[in-house]
Amino acid sequence: MTQALQGKNPSFVLRAAGELTYEDRPVPDQPGAYDVLVKPRWTGICGSDVHYWVHGRIGHFIVEAPMVLGHESSGIVAAVGDKVTSVKVGDEVAMEPGVPCRRCVRCKEGKYNLCADMAFAATPPYDGTLARFYTLPEDYCYKLPEGMSLEEGALIEPTAVAVHITRQAAVKPGDSVVVFGAGPVGLLCCAVAKAYGAKKIVTVDINEERVKFALQYAATDSFISARVSAEENGKNLIEQAGLGMGADVIIDATGAEPCIQTAIHALRMGGTYVQGGMGKPDITFPIMAMCTKEINMKGSFRYGPGDYQTAVDLVATKRISVKELVTGKVKFEEAEQAFAEVKAGKGIKLLIEGPAE
Amino acid sequence: MASATTTDVADRNPAFVLRAIRDVSFEDRPVPKLRDDYEVRVHVAQTGICGSDVHYWQRGRIGDFILTSPIILGHESSGTVVEAGSKVTNLKVGDRVAIEPGVPCRRCDYCRAGTYNLCNDTIFAATPPWDGTLAKYYTVASDYCYKIPDHMDMEEAAMVEPVSVAVQICKVADLRSNQTVVVFGAGPIGVLSQAVARASGARKVIAVDISKARLDFARSYAADETFLPPALAQGADPVVHSEKVAAMIKDQFGLGEGADVVLECTGAEPCIQAGVFVARKGGTYVQAGMGKENVTFPITTACIRALTIKGSIRYSVGCYPTAVDLVASGKVDVKRLITNRFKFEEAEKAFELVKAAQEGVFKVIIEGVQG
Repeated sequence: MTQALQGKNPSFVLRAAGELTYEDRPVPDQPGAYDVLVKPRWTGICGSDVHYWVHGRIGHFIVEAPMVLGHESSGIVAAVGDKVTSVKVGDEVAMEPGVPCRRCVRCKEGKYNLCADMAFAATPPYDGTLARFYTLPEDYCYKLPEGMSLEEGALIEPTAVAVHITRQAAVKPGDSVVVFGAGPVGLLCCAVAKAYGAKKIVTVDINEERVKFALQYAATDSFISARVSAEENGKNLIEQAGLGMGADVIIDATGAEPCIQTAIHALRMGGTYVQGGMGKPDITFPIMAMCTKEINMKGSFRYGPGDYQTAVDLVATKRISVKELVTGKVKFEEAEQAFAEVKAGKGIKLLIEGPAE
Repeated sequence: MASATTTDVADRNPAFVLRAIRDVSFEDRPVPKLRDDYEVRVHVAQTGICGSDVHYWQRGRIGDFILTSPIILGHESSGTVVEAGSKVTNLKVGDRVAIEPGVPCRRCDYCRAGTYNLCNDTIFAATPPWDGTLAKYYTVASDYCYKIPDHMDMEEAAMVEPVSVAVQICKVADLRSNQTVVVFGAGPIGVLSQAVARASGARKVIAVDISKARLDFARSYAADETFLPPALAQGADPVVHSEKVAAMIKDQFGLGEGADVVLECTGAEPCIQAGVFVARKGGTYVQAGMGKENVTFPITTACIRALTIKGSIRYSVGCYPTAVDLVASGKVDVKRLITNRFKFEEAEKAFELVKAAQEGVFKVIIEGVQG
């Protein structure tokens, strides 16, 4: 392990399910005309990273060859291609990890997150950012304004997820919003909804500690889900949180079947439901209620045009705060430890430092 | 024994070039090379002429696009793919295509947000400084080339460009079925907008023009009704007159408080004014025509009647495929719009004919270089 760590491009690699290791990978070439070579400095860990480690796959994305992990990163620009104008060497940037093809209909219609040929860091077969070097196109690099730290920069990825979910939900001033799940994405959805003028933001979780944190972070109300029928749970949620005829918007950031069911029953007629969380692929769903209440229902996947920049702007102008979500930082050599902690459900966001110089 | 080989002939690329204002000529340009692995080279078959081509020829500029060095003209073309880059997957050599002449940068905020027609770094055929399609060959990104069905001919494929403009106009108007639509202008873009509106399920499409001949054609083409506005009386106030014209249209065609949608395809000041007056409260007005840069505009009417006013420029995602389908399915008959045909060597004559703007001349097309 130490040999790899002394190498030119030490990288934290998932060899196969359950097998983490360090490798000295080839140093990337000088960046292409529109590309930027970045030295990642801080990388957050996401549930999906842990899932690949434990299961070696998510859906039809299968780890068939060793893959560098990490996709929630910020870093320092080390080199730029000759057509790059928006960043220069030494700049601190937030790194958007998914680069689409730019040629298909989804890309051209402004939904590049839905591109079938998306090259996404640490989604097989593409390598991730937990290495000394990472190359990405200029338009996927966002310069961090003065006063924003690299640690905050590493939180931009999940913040962009929350921005995208909130945009799908079309949260507007005065809305009542319920967010199921008080993990990082749920918390950030509360924060972004608040920045968008939501009047009431209800955090829902089964974990009392998380709910407590959410209340002092961005939520105005809370609800602890109970093991009762979804209809009853929904009714209780409406009553306890003072939601009147039901919530305007409900966001699910859990993927948990009981949450999804409860949500439909807690929405007002004509309300909006956005599925952000990922759990069981197939669930029992209250389709009748969804129909008769004329619920506007959407999925939300990663982030699209403008979301990353919006996330940077929200943090930079202090309309949302992300510092308090960082509950742990480890050195590059301790990456496996961090993964184990996230797997055990400890903390909110753990950051892994880039390899020492 | 020396003989002319086919490669000698194939290595030439005759082009129709605008050298400077009102100065066109034929030049022998090099056969263009593919700029990257995603491009195709097309042997151009037919090219239509547009008002903008004539404008560059006569005035040398449109807005900020200024002719500073020679450019090949032409941008409404069809052809056959003769070379394909190694990464091209949607086309192969021999495919017959309609060419979308504007390829954006794919990297700026406009491109990423789904509005590639607004990209500042678009490479647009025959908009200075970019060369156009009036040459034997033209190279273009393969995703900006659309294969046409076997039963569609090259003339129809060249007409896909103006049809796409009409598709974009109706897309910007957010046309829904069963709406009333007033279209100012019965030139090619006007009548094509009428046709697309009709194909989109409009309840009533009304064409307005100052030429009776054009109105007669529009009625035979896609318009349900036509209207010839009375001339402005000596000394009369032009805005008051436009308001009267709008009232006449509303009255004559039973539009009640006004039309749901107005498509302005002339750029003429009286039409712009009448267009604002003829829209119903909450209606939509789309500016597609280009004339004077600054006009007297009924802004208070637009405000009080809560109009949605939008500009429409070129075409965006989905327009070309939709246009190909509209032509291929017979919903839009573009053959009827072609009134004059010229050989490549007669290109200048073709341009002169369009410039002369005689009645009876509608769409003029120029054949590509043969062989």
